[in-house]
Amino acid sequence: MSSGVAVNLEDIWIRFGDFVAVRDANVNINGGDFFSFLGPSGCGKTTILRAVSGFLDPSEGRVLIGGKDMAGIGPNKRPTALIFQNLALFPLMKVWENISFSMEVAGIGAKERRKRADELLDMIALEGQGDKLPSELSGGQKQRVAIARALCANPDVLLLDEPLSALDLKLRQHMRTELREIQKRVGITFIYITHDQGEALTMSDNVAVMKAGVIDQIDSGHNIYDHPATPFVASFVGENNVFRGKIKSINGNEAIVSTNRSGDLLSRIAPAQLGNLNVGDDAMMFIRPEVLKLGPAEESSKSTISADVMNEEFEGNTFSVFLEGDGGKSIKMSVPNAGQDHISSRGENLSLHYDPSNAVVMPAGELASE
Amino acid sequence: MKSDSLIRIALGAYLLIFFSYLLGPLVVMSLTAFNSSSFPSVSPWACFTFEWFDVLFNDRHIREGIYYSIIIGIGTVILSVSMGLAASIVLTQVWPRLRSTYYTMIIAPILIPGVVLGISTLVFWDRLGGFLGATEGSVLHGLFHNGLFLTILGQSSFIASYAMLVFVARLQRFDTGLTEAALDLGATHTQAFRKILLPFMRPAIASAAVLAFLASFENYNTTTFTIIDYKTLTTVLAQKVRLGINPSISSLAFIIIVLTIFAALTLEATQSHKRRREAVAQGRMKPAGKSILPSFMRGNIAAIICVLLAFVVIFMVTTAQSYSPEMCKAEVREARQLEIQERIEALNAARAEREATEEPTSTVTDEQAPASSGAFGGVFDPGNLSTDTAEPEAETTAPAGGSGAFGNAFDPGNLETED
Amino acid sequence: MKKKMIFSNFFKTNGVIMGSILMGLVGFWLIFLIVLPQLSMLDYSFRFNLPPADVGGPKDVYTLSNYQFLIYGSDDTHQTYNSVDLKVFVRTIIAAMMVTIFNILLCYPLAYFLGQSKGSAFVRLLVVLLIIPYWINEILRAFALRIIFGDSGLLNETLMFLHLTSEPIDFIRHDVALYAGLGYAYILLMLFPMYNVIESLDRNQIEAARDMGASWVKIHRRIVIPHAKPGIASGATMVFMLSAGALAAPQILGGPSSLWFTQLVYQWFNDSLNWQQGAAYAIVLLVSTITIVLTVMRIFKVNMGDIGK
Repeated sequence: MSSGVAVNLEDIWIRFGDFVAVRDANVNINGGDFFSFLGPSGCGKTTILRAVSGFLDPSEGRVLIGGKDMAGIGPNKRPTALIFQNLALFPLMKVWENISFSMEVAGIGAKERRKRADELLDMIALEGQGDKLPSELSGGQKQRVAIARALCANPDVLLLDEPLSALDLKLRQHMRTELREIQKRVGITFIYITHDQGEALTMSDNVAVMKAGVIDQIDSGHNIYDHPATPFVASFVGENNVFRGKIKSINGNEAIVSTNRSGDLLSRIAPAQLGNLNVGDDAMMFIRPEVLKLGPAEESSKSTISADVMNEEFEGNTFSVFLEGDGGKSIKMSVPNAGQDHISSRGENLSLHYDPSNAVVMPAGELASE
Repeated sequence: MKSDSLIRIALGAYLLIFFSYLLGPLVVMSLTAFNSSSFPSVSPWACFTFEWFDVLFNDRHIREGIYYSIIIGIGTVILSVSMGLAASIVLTQVWPRLRSTYYTMIIAPILIPGVVLGISTLVFWDRLGGFLGATEGSVLHGLFHNGLFLTILGQSSFIASYAMLVFVARLQRFDTGLTEAALDLGATHTQAFRKILLPFMRPAIASAAVLAFLASFENYNTTTFTIIDYKTLTTVLAQKVRLGINPSISSLAFIIIVLTIFAALTLEATQSHKRRREAVAQGRMKPAGKSILPSFMRGNIAAIICVLLAFVVIFMVTTAQSYSPEMCKAEVREARQLEIQERIEALNAARAEREATEEPTSTVTDEQAPASSGAFGGVFDPGNLSTDTAEPEAETTAPAGGSGAFGNAFDPGNLETED
Repeated sequence: MKKKMIFSNFFKTNGVIMGSILMGLVGFWLIFLIVLPQLSMLDYSFRFNLPPADVGGPKDVYTLSNYQFLIYGSDDTHQTYNSVDLKVFVRTIIAAMMVTIFNILLCYPLAYFLGQSKGSAFVRLLVVLLIIPYWINEILRAFALRIIFGDSGLLNETLMFLHLTSEPIDFIRHDVALYAGLGYAYILLMLFPMYNVIESLDRNQIEAARDMGASWVKIHRRIVIPHAKPGIASGATMVFMLSAGALAAPQILGGPSSLWFTQLVYQWFNDSLNWQQGAAYAIVLLVSTITIVLTVMRIFKVNMGDIGK
């Protein structure tokens, strides 16, 4: 199998009239990587994908595939294959004709095409279904046909535009694993577009988080979750309690934040923002719900928050406790289900502790809207 | 309860009136094709005859007209379907702010009166020829003054709009992602068009082509200006109808009506067959049990009527070979002769009386007579004329019959004096 | 700059070959079959009818005389009006409006009936029956009416047989045949757009209105007609334009002394061979009918985009 081809985006700007869809994107994707663009709808991630596949030209900047500048090369000449959000299977062609379409337009004879299509049908576990029409297949089967059709073109880079969004939850989770396996088997570069952080985190080697045309952070899924670089990433990926305030003091990679409503709290500074924070700056501190622990009521320190229980929800594997801190600050805490009946009772005052190395502070910025 | 049945009766009466208005004239016209009376009428009924079909088939002008109508129809279909398809594709891509202007432009030809389109086409190509320096006798001049060429262009200018409307409806359901998918898989734009969009559009192309051909075939307003020295079926018919009518036109109408009914029934039958098959497939309906009818016709009224109609037509064609109305015609002629004789006598008596009282008026009737008999020349089949010499004269002398039926024959003369 | 971008985008999405073919076809249609012919007709209408030798010469100048002729006739002093042609013009416009209104009234109940009782075999049969006359040649349909309305036609024979009249009535001279023929010719262009929009009306709306106690008249006035407005407008526009621009029906069914405006145009072209005068008349017809349609559309707040649906 090929070792995969690198994709580089250099200073990409994409404008539609006065609207800037993508602002100065710089992305280096290693050959053979499973790379995801994660962001809310309308953030420009599909636009980037279309620029890579060649359906639109960036207003500025270069797209390089395997080190080669793609400017002026149409989608039909690029070594990429795109899997569309709605799959775009050709409704009037049989399954095997769909799969081998790339060979048909290359002028390859029917016999050879059929042979290759059958091989691919075997690979996606749809043996003997080649003579059906796409409309006769189930959602998951169509999905796999779309993948086979794209792979049949022997692309160096496979582009996937939210291909799982139309499937139901169970199938979606199953297809995640399957996609990852296919990627490992064929070894080519996958670029995956999604607004579903679960998909991005489970499948990808690296994730780029996008917001309104700007790439906020590119990192491994683990780092994105644990070490968010911006308030947007921190609030978009996973759940987070956000505390606004000002930097009171800085000591190495830790800082004391004078929060607006919860007193002074100690936190680690986000690695990407080390050196960007000064005393007196507006800052945001994030503590994930599962990081908060119950502690003795009387204890008070720079890593303790006092709050009253508003209500509690049972979610199977966890309990979610919704609290209101001093000054009306709402806080969420997750406690793993270890067989308890309940965690707290309504109106109870709790003392919440956290490890300052699990909290993260960064300059104030825009949050992901719910 | 009472008002409900009243509404029902009113609705029934209304439907009856509406459909008699719509279909009655066609039925009457069809019947006149079988009456041996040389003027298309149902009453008085003379003899049942097929002779007008013979007259029709032997009419060189009509045959030529049909020939050129088909040529023009084919040309118009090719041009208007391709222009309509291109225009509808461009409509899906045109810049949003331009869209309504563009749509108005491509829909406008439907609203422009046909005569205006015909005139503008004629004038434009004449002037373009002059502009390009095409002199009389040159190839370009010949082309730009060729009736077939101009008629195809003139008709296509608005038929393309109809085709465009058919395509727009279908294109709305096309997923442009399919074309992109094809391009992404390495197809050229031409391949993507041929292998993806064209197959998707095929049903719409078929209906647009049929629509375009029929619209071209029956167009008169535009054609009458652009056709110049050629003729189409409609211009021949218009000529014949304006200058005087005979039942061979009814027989043509009858043939067209039968063909239309066949087409409509076949379409309805195939559709209802398809609906039924789908219903059976979805389990909403039981498949028809054993029956003497072939499966296509089971529970399909349209198909049954269609087949019955075919039998009737075959029967008619075969009887037409052997049936001869000569006996009946002879009888009618005799009766007619007698009647005419009586009327002439009565008229003569009346005229003598009038002449006695006021002399000058007689000149007016004298003037009218030759004009009418001239108009008759084209109306009557030569065969008829030789045996029936008494008839035209008799009719012209009967003022009521003559001036009404051939009123339009006087039109040109009337018009000239007005200008 | 922006234009250039639109074009480059167009060729990017369609490819150079397909893009050129599409552009070429649309361009040919719009420029050579629509815009330039109309413009050259407009230009022609402002010129004198000169012998070929003088064309392009010093005498070939622009003039309003063709339009003046319509208004004043051959009277150069502009004292008297060209009452004959003006009367024909006014009559054509008014009669076309009447035909349109007549068609709306006649078609609305049927369109409502067909549109609201969908699916049944009887309704499908009715639709087939409607389609049949649609594809019979316009001239043959006029001819059919002529058989009926003629002096010795079916109608007169019937009336005389019933002793309702002793003399044949000259339906053609009184233009009864013409109006019936025009209404007949384009009735389906009124019916089908109406039927299409009424079919798309959710039956529950009518049920709901009836449930709330709305009268039959009110249901139509407040629910069905507002919903059907685009269809009615579309049908009315087509019928009006086609009636005003009709040529075959007036030629075949028109009385000998009353003319349709298109017949005047026809005479200028084919009988008098004065194309310039004919072009001027055609322009007058085109501009006045389109103005009327646009005005009526403005009054009833209908968009151009609704036409042709």
